[in-house]
Amino acid sequence: MIYTGSRIIFSSILRPLLIALLLVGVFGLVYLRSSVMTLEYSLGDLEKTRRNYLRERKMLLAEKTSLLSFERVEASLSRSRGFVLPDRIRVIHVKNRKETLPYNASLERKLP
Amino acid sequence: MPHWKENCPNLNCRRAMGGLNKKRAIILNTTIIFSFFVVFLRLTDLMIFNHKSLSERAKLQHVKVEDIQVRRGIIFDRQEREFALNIELESLYCDPEILDLNNDGLKRLASVIAKEPRFILSKIHNEGRFVWVERKLEPDAVEKIKGLNIKGLGFMTEAKRFYPKGKLASHILGFVGIDNQALEGLELKYDRYMKTSGGKIFLERDAIGRTLSSGVDTEARGNNIVLTIDEGLQHIVEKEIDKAMAKWKAAAASVIMMDPFTGEILALANRPTYDPNNAGNARNPEKRNRAITDCYEPGSTFKIIAGTAALEERLVNPGTLFDVSKGSVEVGGKAIRDVHKHGVLNFKEVIQKSSNVGSVTIGLKLGKDRIYKYAKLFGFGEKTGIDLPGEVSGWISRPERWSGTSIGAISIGQEVAVTPLQILRAYSAIANGGFLVRPHVLSEVISPEGRVLASFRDEEMKRIISEKTAGTFKNILKGVVEEGGTGSSASVDGNVVAGKTGTAQVINPETKRYSREKFVSSFVGFVPADNPRLAIIVVIYEPKGQIYGGVVAAPVFRDIANQALSYLDIPLDSIPYNDHLLVSR
Repeated sequence: MIYTGSRIIFSSILRPLLIALLLVGVFGLVYLRSSVMTLEYSLGDLEKTRRNYLRERKMLLAEKTSLLSFERVEASLSRSRGFVLPDRIRVIHVKNRKETLPYNASLERKLP
Repeated sequence: MPHWKENCPNLNCRRAMGGLNKKRAIILNTTIIFSFFVVFLRLTDLMIFNHKSLSERAKLQHVKVEDIQVRRGIIFDRQEREFALNIELESLYCDPEILDLNNDGLKRLASVIAKEPRFILSKIHNEGRFVWVERKLEPDAVEKIKGLNIKGLGFMTEAKRFYPKGKLASHILGFVGIDNQALEGLELKYDRYMKTSGGKIFLERDAIGRTLSSGVDTEARGNNIVLTIDEGLQHIVEKEIDKAMAKWKAAAASVIMMDPFTGEILALANRPTYDPNNAGNARNPEKRNRAITDCYEPGSTFKIIAGTAALEERLVNPGTLFDVSKGSVEVGGKAIRDVHKHGVLNFKEVIQKSSNVGSVTIGLKLGKDRIYKYAKLFGFGEKTGIDLPGEVSGWISRPERWSGTSIGAISIGQEVAVTPLQILRAYSAIANGGFLVRPHVLSEVISPEGRVLASFRDEEMKRIISEKTAGTFKNILKGVVEEGGTGSSASVDGNVVAGKTGTAQVINPETKRYSREKFVSSFVGFVPADNPRLAIIVVIYEPKGQIYGGVVAAPVFRDIANQALSYLDIPLDSIPYNDHLLVSR
């Protein structure tokens, strides 16, 4: 059999290289697939965690809303702190007129 | 190892060895081809002939089907405070085929779910592989059951409707059933907006049951609704109605607070009441929304009809005099009396002192047809159209069916049946200058993403009396709450109130006559009278000890109005309205 130069190159260099590339490719594919699977598992776990947190959030929101009801707030403040609702006749109404405010503290120079 | 050619020195030997190798190669090739053929046959069998059944089995093994969890929309008050929301609880089920439950376990389980052991036994003796044992358990109970380690029991997460304010606004909100199906109130009325359809999602899972990410939202949410109700005002109303119930030992009570210009219901409460979180334990009378489902004879609050009709028809003016000194008037052979004798009263005083004789005289001047016409104009005998289920239309018969006494009786609010809401709407027309509003509790429908899908618009608001008549009658109603009027105990410090008291007898169903012990006391009015922000009606059914609207219901109105004005920061009448104010407490 007569071996030409190109055949020698193919059999001694390219063939092992192609086989190596094929193996690397196959390994790469398997690795990628397993990475995707791992990611999907992680995502699945995260989704589960998210669902649990959302569930807990709902419970906490319900509890907060319940605790903030007027009835509870009024009852607890009047019982424990002695708060009473003010008589509306004693409400002070102040006219909001800037120009008549008696005291103005300012570092700006007064206009002549 | 030496090559076979080296061991075969001659040609024959070499030929024999070559033939042997060829045979071996043929056998090997045949074996390989046959093996591939067998594999091919098996693959054909798997992929073509048994494809369907096997793919189904494979799907069952690696695909998990889950229901998309459906969540009802949230109900908010006008300040976006939650009135109804969803929480997630665990429901307990069992697989009767693999259930391993001994006597001790049964007793423990029964005590955790607070049921009789025989209740659990009746469930687990059912056929099939899935039976609910107890739905929507509290988290503590779930932990305890998990601690029992009973084989065959499992948990499934379910949404539960939760009303965080308890009994507050229960007659408006309504409630849902165990499967979150709407049963009453707004839950029922706006079910089509708040509920949503579910569906299924397919999740991939591995051999040990771990699920992979689906990337799909496993929850479908309905639209949220925003009400016109204000939690603060609702609390004030409910607090005062409870006090009134306790003070007068009444059979029932209703209070409604409305914006007289827009028809927005700001608060609505009834007693007796119930907790929508435990609606199953409530009795029917507790669940009734009396403010719109129960009729009563309004008594003097109905004098608005004869009064405004006479003004609108220019039959009277505030100074027109009526001699009511006899203290009674005969209509159709029946005497109608005043509670207290008066002398000569002008039209304003007739309303202010709630003279029956004066009102009947006005009614006789008007005639049947005009009384009926104005009663219908004010919306009596028809539903107000409020967006709550179960509203009744009340009742007023046509003039041709009136008896001889009817004109007198109807002029003073007898022989008619009205709901508290109808009366409040009529007085709102006086407050807003003559327009009949449509009461409503829904403000907006909002998508889960926050987009406004619908909002309430009253395009049917129509004028029923002139602005002048409304203004004149408003001034007369102010007189009712002044010193000397029947409703003076409804007056509020700092703001003028306009309103009317009502005291009506209740018909005894056994004797078919008016009861001498049972009355309905009411007060309806609006405040501040000259720039009305709140229209309120208080109806107390069968109070004990006192019967008059001015004594029983008017103080409740005052207490509610006082707190509501303060809550809304509505300034005193003495403070000019157009000024910029800083309000400080």
